[in-house]
Amino acid sequence: MLSYLLGRIFSLAMILLAVSVIVFALMHSVPGGPFDERKGRLPPAAKANILKKYGLDQPVWKQYVNYMSHALRFDFGIPFQRPHTTVAKLIGKSWAVTVQVGLCTIALAFTLGILLGIYAAYHQNSWVDTVVTFISSLGVTVPNFVVAMWLILIFSVSLGLLPMGGWGSSGQCLVDRYFCTDWILPVVAYAIAPMSVVARYTRASIVEVMGEDFVRTARAKGLSEVKVMRKHVLRNAQIPMVTALGTEIPNLITGSIFIESTFRINGLGKYFVTSTLNRDYPMIMATFLLVAFLWGVLYLLTDIAYTLIDPRVRLGAKSLS
Amino acid sequence: MTPPPGRSFLTDALKRFTQNRLAVLGLILVSFILFLAVFAELLSPFPYDQVYFDRVLLMPFQHPEHPLGTDEVGRDYLSRLIFGARTSMLVSLSVQMIALLIGLPIGALAGYFGGAFDFVVSRIIDIMTAFPALLFTILIISVLGGGIPTIIVALSITSWIIIARITRAQILTLREQEYCTAARGIGASEWRILFRHLLPNAMSPILIALSFGIPTVIFAEAGLSFLGLGVNDPIASWGKMVGSSNAYVRVYWHLAVFPTLAIALTMLGFSFLGDGLRDALDPKQKIRV
Repeated sequence: MLSYLLGRIFSLAMILLAVSVIVFALMHSVPGGPFDERKGRLPPAAKANILKKYGLDQPVWKQYVNYMSHALRFDFGIPFQRPHTTVAKLIGKSWAVTVQVGLCTIALAFTLGILLGIYAAYHQNSWVDTVVTFISSLGVTVPNFVVAMWLILIFSVSLGLLPMGGWGSSGQCLVDRYFCTDWILPVVAYAIAPMSVVARYTRASIVEVMGEDFVRTARAKGLSEVKVMRKHVLRNAQIPMVTALGTEIPNLITGSIFIESTFRINGLGKYFVTSTLNRDYPMIMATFLLVAFLWGVLYLLTDIAYTLIDPRVRLGAKSLS
Repeated sequence: MTPPPGRSFLTDALKRFTQNRLAVLGLILVSFILFLAVFAELLSPFPYDQVYFDRVLLMPFQHPEHPLGTDEVGRDYLSRLIFGARTSMLVSLSVQMIALLIGLPIGALAGYFGGAFDFVVSRIIDIMTAFPALLFTILIISVLGGGIPTIIVALSITSWIIIARITRAQILTLREQEYCTAARGIGASEWRILFRHLLPNAMSPILIALSFGIPTVIFAEAGLSFLGLGVNDPIASWGKMVGSSNAYVRVYWHLAVFPTLAIALTMLGFSFLGDGLRDALDPKQKIRV
């Protein structure tokens, strides 16, 4: 277990290193920089001063080493687009919003998805099952910004019920600036796809377990239907559900660029787009490192969760691909 | 296992495909979109970039010449929708083609010969799957600039990974099969085994991955254009139409409704087609790639 963990952490570190090199090289591979004189001319002395201040006058490899030695101390520099703050602060602030969106979405997607999946599996081949299957295949296929647009058209434009955008900045709130009416549409639009995935996985795994011999035995020995479901079916259907959880959570926690820009939410995704448009090297780099780190850690946690749920799964077992 | 006489694998697969109603619906939708894309000039009433300054933001059916209205600079919306199909198809089909041309040989060589080459390829795959492909695509586009060729390049860079991974995994399992040992036993060369025995057997999952890759690319192109990072004006793109409708949607609902419907229908068509292909080509495998 320990050696497995150490191996995984080592490979995560290697991946972060590689990601940082690739992103750094890409950002510096093109002529032009954040202080190009598109928006007005600068006196040469002033420009040289700015370049020196941000370390852009040094050779690329030196800039990289410099950057990484600071990054290891959690100093990710100063965002070019907002010089009065630090990258760490700006990312912290915007990621907090993204995490709020993500956690609400996870809560909604997983409760609804699991309930719908269980219901559809239990009433297999009924009309409810057909409806759930249809909605979930729609939800997996249709992009979330399209769903978001439809929700805006229905609930904001025609019915006038909910605000069109914002995150705690428009509409009524439940607590202070949290759980507001403008949270509803982004969360619903964002949750539909993962909900569909969860519902599909849940349905499929429950249907499979319900066909097993031990379920028939449990019924035959006179257990109540609730007990059969709770003790025998659901417990064994957990593993595929954790697979779905494990692959959806990294996505949800790092946010959706599309949802954030449709609903004008100042989250990580929106800042990533403005950073790439402005060639804001420190912000781009820090976002990439954060996202790669989160993905790596969350996938590792899912793999550990497997062993806790199913003692038959052994970590580090050789598998193809 | 030999198939019964007179029925090859392909006729069998074709039969399974045509019996699947959703798959046929998908095929019809996809053929329709492809038809629009190919014959866009003949089908659309106006050129996609023809601007009428006196006909800005018309509602559908408000003017007899513009059944779907006009956009914020006075271009016929129906024509732009039709040309949007061309952009979408051009990008998605070229990206998958490039992904196949790069991913298949690299995946096959890595899987079959192993060694240092396989090590390098596997590490590249590890790194590229360590963060969302979309972030990387946006970074590349911000470096290279917008436009259709750049989008194709940027999306190909992330798409070949999937094909390479699947090909490698397929070859890795197939090369341990008895027929491969038998072929080696009767003295077939390594290349002959790879091309004549392994690749044809690995084709089904690769084809399925390709067909599911198309809606992924359609989504990516629409999404990038939606964010303003994709195709440049005046080229029509459904994603860009949705993105620029955002400011007008309170009154001019049609600007958002038609392109979103086009995106949704196209993606549904391709995923039904993909599901049908998977069930037809690989009846054993029921899990989505």
